[in-house]
Amino acid sequence: MIVSVKDSLKLFGISIMTCCAVTVCNLFLNYYLDLSAIAALIDNPAAQMFYDAQLMTAKVVCAVSGGCLAATTVVMLFFYIKHYIDSHSKEIGILKALGYSDFKIAKDFFVFGLSVLIGCLAGYLLSFMIMPGFYAKQNADGYLPDMAIRIHGILFVLLVLLPSLLFAFISVGYSLLKLNQPCVNLLKGIVKSKGKNRDIKNKNSFVAEMRCSVLRSRKTLVFFIVFSSFCFSAMIQMSTSMKDLASEMMGLMIFLIGVVLAFTTLYIAVISVIRSNQKNIIMMRVFGYESTDCKRAVLDGYRPAAYIGFVIGSVYQYALLRIMVDIVFAGVEGVPEYKFDFPVCFITLCAFIIVYEGIMFAYGQSMKRISLKQIMSD
Amino acid sequence: MIQIRNLTKYYGKGESRFKALDDVSVCIKDGEFIVILGASGSGKSTFLNVISGLETMDSGSVSYDEKRLEKMNEKELTRFRRDNTAYIFQQYYLLPHLTVEKNIKMGADLDHNRDFFPAMEAVGLADKRKKFPSELSGGEQQRVAIARALAKNPKVLFLDEPTGALDENTGRLVLDYIIKLQAKQSFTMIMVTHNANIAETADRIIRMNSGKIVGITENTEKKTAYEIGW
Ligand SMILES: Nc1ncnc2c1ncn2[C@@H]1O[C@H](COP(=O)(O)OP(=O)(O)OP(=O)(O)O)[C@@H](O)[C@H]1O
Ligand SMILES: [Mg+2]
Repeated sequence: MIVSVKDSLKLFGISIMTCCAVTVCNLFLNYYLDLSAIAALIDNPAAQMFYDAQLMTAKVVCAVSGGCLAATTVVMLFFYIKHYIDSHSKEIGILKALGYSDFKIAKDFFVFGLSVLIGCLAGYLLSFMIMPGFYAKQNADGYLPDMAIRIHGILFVLLVLLPSLLFAFISVGYSLLKLNQPCVNLLKGIVKSKGKNRDIKNKNSFVAEMRCSVLRSRKTLVFFIVFSSFCFSAMIQMSTSMKDLASEMMGLMIFLIGVVLAFTTLYIAVISVIRSNQKNIIMMRVFGYESTDCKRAVLDGYRPAAYIGFVIGSVYQYALLRIMVDIVFAGVEGVPEYKFDFPVCFITLCAFIIVYEGIMFAYGQSMKRISLKQIMSD
Repeated sequence: MIQIRNLTKYYGKGESRFKALDDVSVCIKDGEFIVILGASGSGKSTFLNVISGLETMDSGSVSYDEKRLEKMNEKELTRFRRDNTAYIFQQYYLLPHLTVEKNIKMGADLDHNRDFFPAMEAVGLADKRKKFPSELSGGEQQRVAIARALAKNPKVLFLDEPTGALDENTGRLVLDYIIKLQAKQSFTMIMVTHNANIAETADRIIRMNSGKIVGITENTEKKTAYEIGW
């Protein structure tokens, strides 16, 4: 058995991600279903308009946040599996050499679905905990008749059971794909020399060369870094607008989800780039490179990606809210005017710079504490 | 000159506390080639790691001329390693995502040594400079590790079983490279090995057992890598 239940529990990034996704989706879908049930009770045009807007919002929020989070979960899962196979390539290579089939090894990756199940269950329960407050807030103005919270079995199947199974199968399928390579490559830990091998330029220092190669060898992490700063930027800016447009509760929820996602993905990306470069960092230190050099070589290559993510996030949240205000709420009265909020954007950027550079600095410092003897341990 | 006095190193705590180095004293002259021999677990690697500043000591002192390792903090140790030492491990530890020449550049950069081609040529890797470590044989990888260390122009070179994983032919070839370069550039060289034959190429032989030095012999008849048995 190559993959154990314990390995699955280590994928807490996935659990957090799916937890957020299911919380949001279940909250809004449950609301959507309960709203649909009272369609016949709406009796005046004002209430009808409000009612339609509520239905639309539920759908849009679900599709946007659910879809976005689900896509990220898939990428994260792929990343974990690839990382797992890379870091266990010797053991897997030995099993293959002994005659284990790819499928026999790959089917163990089924347990990765467990991390999704845990996240989904947690999210499902969490959503019911905040549901009463959410229902009350949504209908604070009393446009709609009183609504009771009903539990819909179909949502449990759709949001908990199905995703867990689906992700378990995706895990097996993707690992099958990744295992399909010559046994000796796994044993020797051969890394495909992707891309062209640029000619050495003497003016480029070793640290610069190393930075390029770290970046090229772990491209998925670029996505995580972009996503992380995207979440930070989009969700925090959106939360301040949401406070005015929808409710304080919505704003707070979006803020919390954004912060949790941003930090989880950033943590996963940074930890895995440091872990996978641990030997290289130690060798650099043995040769007498200082920890600041190691940080520049291993982490600084991701900085442009982080700032690009921030810009995309700002644009995305503006576009999304513009669409919501102009199309979804078109004709609904009392919706405040929406403009791009430059001061908030600026404050968020400052916070982002402080948080991001602070975290990178802390990790750079932590490289000092890696024991040089560790290299001899295997 | 490297002056080592009453060096002691423990591993573990409490019940399982284990004395890996026990009151080791020795003096190594500049430009000397020392071989350390001893059974497995006798503390050879530990000795090398401590005197090269990779590991801390519990008591005793290690001084390079005026500089005392035990008085240095992590930053000073790093600087010391940068300016003085190079290390060749048995497992090479090349950077897998970098080509041969970039791996060698890692050492060269620290000496502001823009021209590391000679080091690459000296170990016969000039034509393999664009390859990745995984595309090289074990012996070739070891030679990259050697070139990387030599490109740094170290004052002291530490080697932990540099030929341990090599077959006889490649082993002799690699050893010959190192010994000739040491003779030419006359840096201090300290090599750990379990192969007693290799000791015949050194200036002095230090024998270790259970963390102690049990004998130091002067080698009057230095042999080359091709004259010794294997
Ligand atoms: N990190 C550690 N923790 C506890 N004990 C250790 C540690 N490293 C080494 N030892 C112990 O210290 C002793 C000396 O180890 P060392 O690696 O120096 O031996 P060696 O002479 O190099 O052996 P070999 O020839 O097998 O490499 C051994 O008994 C070993 O078990
Ligand atoms: Mg050893």
